Amino acid sequence: MLVLALAGSVALRIRLERESTRAEVTPVMYVTSGATLRRLSLGHQGLLADLYWTRAVQYFGRQKLSGTGDYRDLGRLLRISTELDPHLLIAYRFGAIFLAENPPAGAGRPDEALALLRRGIAANPSYWRLWQDLGFIYYWDLKNYPQAASALEAGSRQPGADLWMKTLAASVAAQGGELATSRLLWFQVYSQAGNESIRQSAREHLAAIKTAEDMAQLNKLLVEFGQREGRPASSIDDLVRAGMLPGRPADPSGVPYEVGNDGKAALGPGSRVDLQMAR
Amino acid sequence: MNQIAAIAVHAFKESVREKVLYNLVIFAFLMIGAGLVLGSVSVGINDVALVNLGLSAISVFGLFIAIFIGISLVWKEMERRTLYNVLSKPVARAEFILGKFLGLVLTLVVNTAIMTVGFYAVLWFEKGRLGAADLAPLEAVYFILLQLTLVVGVALLFSAISSPALSAVFTLSLYVIGNLLGDLRALGEQSGAALRALLRGLTLVLPDFAALSDIAPAARGELVPGSQIVSHSLYAALYIAALLSATIVIFERKDLR
Repeated sequence: MLVLALAGSVALRIRLERESTRAEVTPVMYVTSGATLRRLSLGHQGLLADLYWTRAVQYFGRQKLSGTGDYRDLGRLLRISTELDPHLLIAYRFGAIFLAENPPAGAGRPDEALALLRRGIAANPSYWRLWQDLGFIYYWDLKNYPQAASALEAGSRQPGADLWMKTLAASVAAQGGELATSRLLWFQVYSQAGNESIRQSAREHLAAIKTAEDMAQLNKLLVEFGQREGRPASSIDDLVRAGMLPGRPADPSGVPYEVGNDGKAALGPGSRVDLQMAR
Repeated sequence: MNQIAAIAVHAFKESVREKVLYNLVIFAFLMIGAGLVLGSVSVGINDVALVNLGLSAISVFGLFIAIFIGISLVWKEMERRTLYNVLSKPVARAEFILGKFLGLVLTLVVNTAIMTVGFYAVLWFEKGRLGAADLAPLEAVYFILLQLTLVVGVALLFSAISSPALSAVFTLSLYVIGNLLGDLRALGEQSGAALRALLRGLTLVLPDFAALSDIAPAARGELVPGSQIVSHSLYAALYIAALLSATIVIFERKDLR
């Protein structure tokens, strides 16, 4: 009787799941105050912080996959996680990236990312990587090179900071916006990334920067060709035939460069490089 | 002393016969194992989540054990009328209370040790090897034991004056309040002089369970300074002495007929 009843209920459940339309899971936050949750945790705020951080990660992943670009609850989830455990460093670091990246990859809220990092620095003043992340946000998302240099310089003074922080601060102060400086920043992100998705993002940015540098070089050669031959190059092959290039160069995704309608270097069809990432 | 030890051993043997004990320990192991799952569905917190969940499981289930067994320690003996047999041996009422307390503390130490072994087994499985940095959770376990010993003292006090159901409610309520003394202090500072004085007095007199919590720092691998271990241990010892004294005074005046 027990086996039959259980088997019947399982079979009916499977059928009901197939028949019902996929229900939208509406994220709900009954308690939005980290301080209140801290009180309710009765000493287990560390565990609660882990649960809220996990919730933030799952929320971000779900919204990113949906492609809606709607991350309205992300800031709140991160704030609660870090109010419960002000030393949950991963929440500040990854949370700032999730918040700062432009939609649909992220929330497109660099202001919230800055606020999150500043709270992290207040709670963990000697953790230099938070200063590094602050500098990156000022550099990439706000193009505020003096503030970026200031943040990187402050980070370089913290105990245990890598030596390149000072060099980077100086480079940003002097050449903020230059591709070489950007490459240095993203190379640091790539080499420190403890997570494959961050590493992949850094790879894509480095590929975009390499492409931008290649195209700048190609544009110089195209201008030189025009001056030398008295006519604009119709394709990259013209430069190869003129002996100005050893072969047809390709972008980091393996697609050969072309000459655009404006006579300047352009990406070939099917290229997977996103030049926006170089800006 | 022999009589206290004999009562303690008997209380320990009686406690380990409680079926609820095994159920709670099994659930604790399940929760500790769930720490592996939590880390895998999140980012960057594998070890931290495991330690947080493991220590919280030991703390929560230890609390349930302390309350469920502590509240019925005295009451059960009175209900079964076995108390009169014991006291006629002769065993002083104070010795009876001390023996029961020590027996339950021994039960908690053994159960906590078993759960801690399980926790470290899971941690070793997750990390592959254990190092010096993994000693921090042991400090947290020590503080959890101090908390639980305090809870046993409270439960014993209430069990001497009330029924098991009410004792459980009072003990749990005091545990919750003891974790919120910081907020009571903050509330007092924003209040008038009389209320401020009252709340200040309460925060000094009520047991401060929050001060004995070390789970979050242990998850980060932070060790507690030796001076803090000593001062908190002394605080717990003094408070337990006060609780036991109160329990003994109440029990000695209790009409057992």
